[in-house]
Amino acid sequence: MCTSCGCGDPHVMPFDVHERILAGNDRAARHNREHFRDHHVIAVNLMGSPGAGKTAVLDATARELGRTGEAAKVGVLTGDLATDNDAVRLRAVGLMAQSITTGTACHLDAEMVHRGLHNLPWRTFDYLFIENVGNLVCPAIYDLGEDVNVVALSVTEGEDKPLKYPMMFHKADLVLLTKIDLLPQLTDVSVDTIEKNIASVMPVPRMLKVSARTGEGIADWVRWLNGRRRPRTAACAASAGAGAVA
Amino acid sequence: MHEYSLVQAMFDQMANVMAINHARAVRRVRVRIGPRAGVDPDLFRTAYDVYRVRTFCADAPLDIADGAGDDLILEQLELEVR
Repeated sequence: MCTSCGCGDPHVMPFDVHERILAGNDRAARHNREHFRDHHVIAVNLMGSPGAGKTAVLDATARELGRTGEAAKVGVLTGDLATDNDAVRLRAVGLMAQSITTGTACHLDAEMVHRGLHNLPWRTFDYLFIENVGNLVCPAIYDLGEDVNVVALSVTEGEDKPLKYPMMFHKADLVLLTKIDLLPQLTDVSVDTIEKNIASVMPVPRMLKVSARTGEGIADWVRWLNGRRRPRTAACAASAGAGAVA
Repeated sequence: MHEYSLVQAMFDQMANVMAINHARAVRRVRVRIGPRAGVDPDLFRTAYDVYRVRTFCADAPLDIADGAGDDLILEQLELEVR
């Protein structure tokens, strides 16, 4: 019987659900995470505004790994509303990259990532970068099954972006301050202020300054990544094949 | 605007609840949204109002209660079970 509005309709009954609206996405994310952990793959959810330099950072990361002779295998899923330009660009520098074209969706979700993995030999990767749709709001609320969340913030975006979009930065494990080669031209931009603003919204503040153009800071970023790498056992390496997610 | 995606996910949840309970329609929807959910309650309501037209929620008002932290919870449905 309906008791909430007082109509007493005997054919209306309350049903307690008490479930997260994103429970379906959370289940898919757990599934992805289990696969990544089982196969010693570090999944990095790379977020940031359009034009923050996410693809450029990945490009520079691939070059740094090649330069240092790191044996790390890297794959990328790139999310955009339209075009596969980012994946094409990253394949050109030797990365295995697959685009996820979202159409109208302003974020990636766990199921999109799962489907995207079907087209990559992800079990062989040491790192899977998930380059999210350029957006400082929506991607922050969708768990993809990643191990770490990284936000790319360029020096041209404004010092107060972390204050304006706190959720994104609250979720981040690391902020990459990108395009630092432009700082000499940006005399009114204070890195100290950006760092202070990040520290006010990140539970454990961590920022690295990088320039994909000059390579400055990229080695530090790669060292940070290496600190998260999961050593592969012989059994794990043997089971790594070019297959799909179960 | 991810509020439409969230409303779509909520409709999937509600369809499951209706099937389990052999319900004919939803008469009221109650959700809880926290300040760090990353969801604008007004936009969520707008998305719901757009989405519910000619669905099992056509006559179901949406109640949004304040939650804590990143709460984004479908709390309760009133189901028409005749």
